[in-house]
Formats: sequence, structure tokens, C-alpha cells
Amino acid sequence: MDLNRFKACSAAYGADRRRWPAREHPLYDRFAGTSEGVAILAEAERTDRFLDALETAAPDLRRVGRIAAIARPAWYRLAKPAATLAASAVLGFAVGFAQARSAADTDIAARLLLGPQSLQEIGL
Amino acid sequence: MKPPPDDALDRELMAAVGRGDGRAFARLVGRHYGWALGFTDRMLGARHEAEDLVQTAFLRVWQGAAHWEPGARFSTWLYRVLYNLCVDQFRARNTAAGVPLDGDLAEALADEAPGSEERVSDMQRGARVRMALAALPARQRAALVLCYYEELSQVEAAALLGVSEGALESLLSRGRATLRKWLRDDLQ
Repeated sequence: MDLNRFKACSAAYGADRRRWPAREHPLYDRFAGTSEGVAILAEAERTDRFLDALETAAPDLRRVGRIAAIARPAWYRLAKPAATLAASAVLGFAVGFAQARSAADTDIAARLLLGPQSLQEIGL
Repeated sequence: MKPPPDDALDRELMAAVGRGDGRAFARLVGRHYGWALGFTDRMLGARHEAEDLVQTAFLRVWQGAAHWEPGARFSTWLYRVLYNLCVDQFRARNTAAGVPLDGDLAEALADEAPGSEERVSDMQRGARVRMALAALPARQRAALVLCYYEELSQVEAAALLGVSEGALESLLSRGRATLRKWLRDDLQ
């Protein structure tokens, strides 16, 4: 009768004593070392080993960040794209302005090298 | 991966989240995301669905924190939220009773089994376990995931599933017996 219970527990909880209900530990200890017990646990252990083959991949930290961002206030979530757009516009203006200045400087230098006709021509 | 043990900290964080503290929420997500994803991934057998579902669960945490009453451990409560979402997902898939392991799937599992001189890689074996678990009836799968992978006590797992400990043992036995039958070639 007890051996049947031992068999039923190993079929449900596997071969690892830690997974058995605490109240069944004495039963485990009684049969685990017997020849019948060893055979029953070996069968259960094969299933355990198979279950152990299932692993899950590490979490994607970007996902964690996106979930944590749920808690950001609405104004922040709306303000962020607006601020990004504004920053892009300012940056674009600054780059364009610098390129224009640079082009003007290059034009002046070229005229000096090639020999301007007059100082008025280069705006001096 | 298992839930972190410090429930007192979780309670403090939840109280802060209830007051709208975004930093506390981020910390709570950081503490619990890993195991929540592992549990949900094993339950659903589909990584992307699991990620979406865990995100939904944390959204519920954020929205419901102000009304949260610390009766049980935070992780036990989150397990319940995740489990209920998984059940909803099964219903949406119309597979609450699990994907029946019909001739085709049983054949696919058998075809992929390694020969006596051939060893299947851990990755292939993991994929086969995933497929087989996903094909179990939802409650058998939940019992196995909670007791085997999550290592919840029988009392905790039974409470979560809303069954007696005897019924839980029966779910576990039937689940493992079905897996043994399907995967007998791997178990040789």
C-alpha cells in the first residue's frame, strides 16, 4: 500500500525529494533506497530530465524599459516626441546656417586666390 | 527564475506605485519581469505572446495599484493575474483544452526523436518539450509549470488553480503521464 503511494507521488512530483509535499518526505526516505524505489525514481527522473531541457531566453531589456515607461506622466510621453521634433528643427537650422556661412567663406577665399577684380567684389 | 523573496519591499513599492510613483513602478517591473516572462512563456509556448501578455499584466499593476490590498504576497497576486490572462489567451485561441495531440503532431514528435546512436541537441529537445507542453490541457500544463518549473508549494499551486491538493496531484500525474507517452522515444 505504501509502495503504491510512493509510486503515485513519484508519478506526480518526480524524482526530486524537494518537489514532494513535506508530509510525504518520510515515505520518500523509506523507499528511495530500496530496489523497487530506485526503479520507480529512475523512471520519474527520465521525465524530470526531459522537462529540464526547456529553457526560456533572457528577457529583452528594451521591453522592460518600455513597460517601466507606462508610468511616465502623459505630458512627458507627449512632450518627448514634440521635444525631439523641435530639437531636430533647431539642429537642422543650425547646420544649414553653418553650411551657408561656410559656403560664403569658401567663395570669398576662392575669389582672393583667383584674384578678385576689386575689393568691392568680395564685399570688403 | 523565481520571484524575489523580499515581499516587504514589494509591498512598499506597491504602496508607492499606488501614489503614482513611476520610479517605484520601474523598480517593481525590474524585480518581477524576468520570472513573470518565464512563467508566461512556458504557459503559452510562444515568446512574443508572452511578452505582450506580461506587458498587459504590468499595465494592470500600474492601473490597479491604488486599490491593491496586500492580502497575499505580491508575487502570488501577480501569478494569478498572469494565469488568468493566459486562460483568456487560450480561450481566444479556442484551445482551452490544449491542442489535441492528434496523429500529425504525435507523428511530428516521433519523427524528430533521435535514433539510438544519434543525440538530439539540448535546443532541439527544448523545442520538443515546449511543443509537448503546449499541447497539454491548460490545467495540466499550469500544474506542471507552477510545481515543476516555478517550484511553488502544492498549497500555493492548488490555491492559484482553485483546486484541492488531491486534484492538483491528479493534474500533475496525468500531465507527466501524457508527456511520457508522447515523448517515449526521447525518454529511452
